[in-house]
Amino acid sequence: MHARARVAAARLAAEQVLELLLEVELPDPSPGQFVMLWVPRVGEVPMSVADYEGGVLRLFITRRGVVTGYIHENARPGLALFVRGPYGRGFTMPRGGRVLLVGGGTGTAPLYFLAKRAGLSSAGCTAAVGFKSSRHVILVDELRKYCDVRVATDDGSLGHHGPVHELAAALLSGERYDRVYACGPEQMIVEVLRLLEGREEALEASLERYMRCAVGVCGSCVLDPLGLRVCRDGPVFSGAVLRRLHDLGRWWREPDGRKRPLAPQATG
Amino acid sequence: MLEVEVAGLRLRNPTVLASGVLGVSASLAKRVEEAGAGAFTTKTVTREPRRGYMNPTFVVLEHGYLNAVGLANPGIEHFCQELREMRESLSIPVILSVGGGSAEELVEVARRGVECGAQAVELNVSCPHVRGMGVELGHRADEVAGAVGEIRRLGVPVLVKLSVHHDYLRLAEACLDAGASGFTAINTVRGMAIDIYARKPVLSNVYGGYSGPAIRPIAVRVVYELYEAFPGVPIIGVGGVDGWEAALELILAGASAVGVGSAIAEKDLAIFEEIVRGLKEYMEREGFSSIKELVGLAHRS
Ligand SMILES: Cc1cc2nc3c(=O)[nH]c(=O)nc-3n(C[C@H](O)[C@H](O)[C@H](O)COP(=O)(O)OP(=O)(O)OC[C@H]3O[C@@H](n4cnc5c(N)ncnc54)[C@H](O)[C@@H]3O)c2cc1C
Ligand SMILES: Cc1cc2nc3c(=O)[nH]c(=O)nc-3n(C[C@H](O)[C@H](O)[C@H](O)COP(=O)(O)O)c2cc1C
Ligand code: FES
Repeated sequence: MHARARVAAARLAAEQVLELLLEVELPDPSPGQFVMLWVPRVGEVPMSVADYEGGVLRLFITRRGVVTGYIHENARPGLALFVRGPYGRGFTMPRGGRVLLVGGGTGTAPLYFLAKRAGLSSAGCTAAVGFKSSRHVILVDELRKYCDVRVATDDGSLGHHGPVHELAAALLSGERYDRVYACGPEQMIVEVLRLLEGREEALEASLERYMRCAVGVCGSCVLDPLGLRVCRDGPVFSGAVLRRLHDLGRWWREPDGRKRPLAPQATG
Repeated sequence: MLEVEVAGLRLRNPTVLASGVLGVSASLAKRVEEAGAGAFTTKTVTREPRRGYMNPTFVVLEHGYLNAVGLANPGIEHFCQELREMRESLSIPVILSVGGGSAEELVEVARRGVECGAQAVELNVSCPHVRGMGVELGHRADEVAGAVGEIRRLGVPVLVKLSVHHDYLRLAEACLDAGASGFTAINTVRGMAIDIYARKPVLSNVYGGYSGPAIRPIAVRVVYELYEAFPGVPIIGVGGVDGWEAALELILAGASAVGVGSAIAEKDLAIFEEIVRGLKEYMEREGFSSIKELVGLAHRS
C-alpha cells in the first residue's frame, strides 16, 4: 500500500529540476534507496531519496515525460501524492578514510543524502559534481557543508568546462581515496569505473532501469548476465559487480522486455 | 527423496518458479536454478511484443499482492534467444508459458518456443486482466482443447493453467480429452484495490490479479477437486506458497509439484531452499521416503 505524501513545498531548484518536500511517514530510508511515487490516474515512477528527516521526504525530479511532467506542472503545497518504499540496497556507509563522490545531474541528490547521513566533512570528503550548465546546478551549496566540492558543466558556464569524470580523473591523479561513490548518467559511471581500473579504491555506483514492482518479483529491471535486479539487488552495486555486467553502459530493457542500446545521455 | 516426475519432466525437487515472476531472462533463470528450484516457468509469451500496462502495475496489500502487468513480453521471436540460452545454461526443465488471443496464436507461439528449446508448454488461458486473452480464452473450452491437441503433436508435455474464473473442471476435461499432460492451478484471482486517501483504484488497469497467502485456500480446493476428478493426472499447485507448510498442503491436496510466485517479494530467492529443507525435515520426522507418498494423501482414508 502507498502512504499519503502531502506536498509541503515545491520549487524549481534548477532548470527542469523540481525540488519536492513531502510530508510522509515511511520506514527510515538509507542513502541510495529509492521510493515509488504514485500520482493517481497519471502513473508511478521510481525516485531516489535526497533526504528524509522529521517526516519530510525530499526528492529532486527532472522533467522527462508524462509523470514527471505532470508533477512539474501541478505540484503545489497541499497536493496529495503517494509513496511506497523505501526499496533497494543503498550505499555502504563510509567508516573513516577519504571519500570521493562523483555525481551527475540529479544523481547528486543521493550522494548529498549519503554525505549528510554519514556526517562527512571536507577533511575527508571531496565531491565532483557535473551539470549541463550553471542553470542546472542543484545542491552544491548544501553539499559544501560536508565535502570539498568541485563543479563541472558541459558548457563551461560554471567550474570545469567538460564532463565530470574529467574532474574525477584530475582528483584521482593527485590523491588516493578509500571509497568512491558515483551516481548519475550511466556513461559517467562507465567512465568512473574505467578511471578506477587497477586502483585500490572501492567503488559503489547507483544504476537505473525500467521498474514495475520495485520488490524483485517482476524481473523488469534485470541486468545481464548476472541476473541482478536493480530494484532489489541494487540500485547500488559494487565496482566488482559492475565490471561483470555486460549491460552496463550498453543496454536498457524496455517495458516489453526487449533490449535497446542505451542512448548516451547528457548529464540531466 | 525429493525428486518428482511431472508429466514426463524430471524435477530434482517439487518447487517450480511460477510464470510471470522473474521469468524474463536466461540470467534470472540461472539464479533461480542456483537458488534451488526444481523447474523454471517463463513469463507468458505471446506472438507480438506487448508493452503491458502503465504503472502502478503491482502493489503489496495486507494479505497478498495485486498485479496487472498486462502480459508484457518481448514476443516469441525475440524470446527465442533467451530460451536458447536457458537451455544452454540450465539443467532444470524450462516450461514455456504461452499466451494469445486465439488457438492459432497459442499453437504458433508454442511451436516456435519448442523449436527454441522449451521442454514443456504451459497454456496461460487464465490471466485475469487482459482483454481477449487469458480467462476470456479459457471460457472457450473447445478452442483451448483444439490448441492442446495441436501442441501435443510437437512432442512436449502440455500443461493447462487454470483459473477459478472459468468452469475449470469442464475445461480440464476437454483438454484431457485433447491430450493435455496435466494442469497448473491456479492463476491469480481477479481483484482490485482502492486507496482510501487517493479515493482511486491503485492499479492503472483498475482490475488485477490477486495472489499470495490469501488465495492459498482457493488453490488447495481447486487442486483437491482436480485430483479427485482426474486421478493420476499431474498437477502443479500454485497459489500462496510462502514456505514448506504451504507447499505441503498443496501436495497433500494432490499436487505433484508446487509453484512459487509472489512470495519472492517477501523472502526473495531463498524461499526455494527453505521449502526444500522444510519438506525434507518433515518427511524424515514423519516417516516418508518419497514425495510421491504424500501426493494426494489427504484424499485417502
Ligand atoms: C532507482 C531509480 C531512481 C531514480 N531517481 C530519480 C531521481 O531522483 N530524480 C529523477 O528525476 N529521476 C529519477 N529516476 C528516473 C525517473 O524514474 C524517470 O525519469 C521517470 O520514471 C520518467 O517518467 P515519466 O513518466 O516522466 O517519463 P516517460 O515519458 O514515461 O519516460 C521517459 C524515460 O524515463 C525512464 N522511465 C520511465 N518510466 C520508468 C520507470 N517506471 N522506471 C525507470 N525508468 C523509467 C525511461 O528511460 C523513459 O524512456 C530514477 C529511476 C530509478 C530506476
Ligand atoms: C507480478 C506477477 C505476474 C504474473 N504473471 C503471470 C503470467 O505472465 N502468466 C501466468 O500464467 N501467471 C502469471 N502470474 C500468476 C502466477 O504465476 C501465480 O499463478 C499466482 O501469482 C499465484 O501464485 P502466488 O500466490 O505464489 O503468487 C503472475 C503473478 C504475479 C504476482
Ligand atoms: S521492478 Fe520488478 S523486479 Fe525490479
